[in-house]
Formats: sequence, C-alpha cells, structure tokens
Amino acid sequence: MTATDERRDDDIALAGEYALHLLDADERRAFEERLAREPDLRALLGEWEEHFAGLSAEIASVAPPRHLKPAIEQRLFAAAKPARPRRSRIWLLGGLLTAAVLVLAFVALLPPSRPAGPAYVAEVAAEDRSLVVAARFDPVRGTLAVDRLAGGAAENRVLELWLIAEGAAAPVSLGVLPADPQAEIALAGEIIGLMAGGTLAISDEPPGGSPTGQPTGAVLAVGALSTL
Amino acid sequence: MRTPADIEQLILKVGLGDRNAFSTLYDATSAKLFGVCLRILNNTAEAEDAVQEAFVRIWQKSHRYGMTGNSPMTWLITLTRNLAIDRLRARAPRTADLGDVPDMRDPGPTPEAAAIAASEAARIGSCLDELEAPRADAVRGAYLKGESYQELAARHGVPLNTMRTWLRRSLLKLKDCLSR
Repeated sequence: MTATDERRDDDIALAGEYALHLLDADERRAFEERLAREPDLRALLGEWEEHFAGLSAEIASVAPPRHLKPAIEQRLFAAAKPARPRRSRIWLLGGLLTAAVLVLAFVALLPPSRPAGPAYVAEVAAEDRSLVVAARFDPVRGTLAVDRLAGGAAENRVLELWLIAEGAAAPVSLGVLPADPQAEIALAGEIIGLMAGGTLAISDEPPGGSPTGQPTGAVLAVGALSTL
Repeated sequence: MRTPADIEQLILKVGLGDRNAFSTLYDATSAKLFGVCLRILNNTAEAEDAVQEAFVRIWQKSHRYGMTGNSPMTWLITLTRNLAIDRLRARAPRTADLGDVPDMRDPGPTPEAAAIAASEAARIGSCLDELEAPRADAVRGAYLKGESYQELAARHGVPLNTMRTWLRRSLLKLKDCLSR
C-alpha cells in the first residue's frame, strides 16, 4: 500500500467517523476546517451521509404531537412581525390588489406582441415589500423586462435574479440586476423552456454576482411566474 | 408528494421563503425526522425539542440545500440527526433507557421511507451483513442511537482504543463493499 492509499484510507475512516458523530470536539473542529477547503473530503463525507441515511429506513416514523407544528410556525413566522399581528390579511389583500394593478399596468403599457409562446409575468417581492421587481417575459424577443419598483441593492452588494424551474435541482442565474431600475435581460433558449410553472427570486450577492453559481446571500424576494 | 423529487421541490421552495411548501414539507417528513430524534434521544420531550429545532434550521438553511449535493431525505435526516446528537452529547452521561419510547423497529414500510432510496437502504444493509456481527452492531449503534466511542466500548466490553481501531477498520471494509 502506498503512502497516498494510506492517507486516503485514513480520510475515508475519518469522514465516516465524522458522519457518525464519533469524533471529539477538537477532532470535529479540525475536520470541519479541512472540509471548508478540501472538496475531495466534502465528497467523501457526502458519500457516507448518503450511505448511512439508508440506515434510517430501519427507523420507524412516529407522528409528532399535533401542537408541535403550530409551535414551530409561531416561532418562525409570528416573531417576524409582532408589531402588526392582526393586519396581515388586510396587508395581504393590499399586496394582491397592488400586484393585480401592476400586472394590468404592464399589459396596458407594453405594446401588444405577436403570439410566439406564452408571455410570463411575475411580481418578485419581499414580504415587507422593501423590494419589489415586476418582471415580464417577451416571448417574441426572448427577453425579460424588469422594473424595480421599490428597494435596491445594499451598499457594495448587488441583486441577482434567479429562475427556479419546476422540478429543477437548483436555481439558474438570470444575471445581476443592472443599476438602472428598468432593464432588459436576454434569456438563452434553454432557459425560456424552463419558465412554465417556475418561480423568480432575487438574492443579495457580492459585486459581480454569486461566485458559486448558486445563491450565496439572503433570498430577498420571490414571485411565481404566471401566464398572461 | 412522497418521491425524492417531490421532497426536493418542497425544500427548494422553502429555501425561497414559501410557507405553504414548509407546511407540506413538515407534513411529509416530520414523522420520519421525529422518529430519528426519538431513537437517538430516547426521550419524548427532548425529541420534540430537537425536531422543532430541526424544522427551524430547515427553514433557515434550505436555500443552501442545492450546494450540499445530498439527496433530499439525506439532507433532512443528516441535519436533524446532527442536532439530536449535539443535544445528546450536551446532556449528562446517558440516562438509562426511560421506557417511555415504544420499540422503534420499523413495523413496515412507511410513506416517508419511500423517499429514502430503497437501493441505498439495501446496499448499506447487505454491506453491514458482511462485517462480523458485533462490528456491524457498533456501526448501527453509532448511527441510529448516536452512541459514542465510550458507550460502544463499554457495551462491547473492550478498551476504548480497541473500539476505535475496530470501528475504523469496519468503516474501511464497509466503504470497500459500498464502492463495489
């Protein structure tokens, strides 16, 4: 056995021990530091996690008590806006009306296009409406017109637009939103094919956009695409 | 809504802040994840806390799901199991089994189990069968019950270093079998 094989064996066992949670606190931390910079080690760990998860088939499912789900939702969603606990429905209605008006405005303002496949629209909005971007896909030109109606990128940050296609494993970047509130983004043919049933999202990213090809910052706004 | 693709779709939507998707994901997976917590913590109240924490974490971390490369149930189970084991390790030396948890052996296929690739379950099972029984039992104990090296060594009546050597060798054999 060569020294490389031994080192590889050592890492295989180590990644397995980590996946099983058998390492002590110091060993765990050291392993995690290596994980951050060694893709091979991450891959080894991922394989172990996948294998061991197979053992979970031996664990019986047990329905948790009924009170648990509302407790979790309360903890996650109620705490976010304690100042206006009773206005949410009215607020939602207002949001829907605004969205409807926006969609109508778009329809009214943009010149009618020859039919060439469905035209999609989306209102990509933050929950508190601190960021609102209206998007309209022009099937004739293959472009997405975006109109930033509220909010913008934080200082030294950019907004990146994503398409989450129905059934897709990961979001696809449609590019960084330009500084101008109104802009057009040209879409590749294969992306246009993914729009039906998809969702648009905007994330907060470093200048130049996500370095990984996947959202790295907070997802700030979301909106489902619908056909006109 | 039970195939891996369905669960994945839900996780992605949750990653975008979709509360309805979160609710559906909870309904589809909470029984499996609660089962995982119960098996590790062997205490209903603690398992409730752990699974609650797990779903909070799922809500917060699901936008990063795509980066892990894990299959969806593996991602959910790994996240939940890690939280449960952190809780287990943080408490005083393991209390004796409290007897308030029913036998957790799987009574049969459950809807959620279908989302764990059946082939993966069969592979790890048959590869564990290739190990000597006590060694396979040690790996199972570490994964399913979160047993530490100390607990495994005590249960098998061997010194701690021996247990570690055993287990590391078992892992290499297991990996060898799983890669075939």
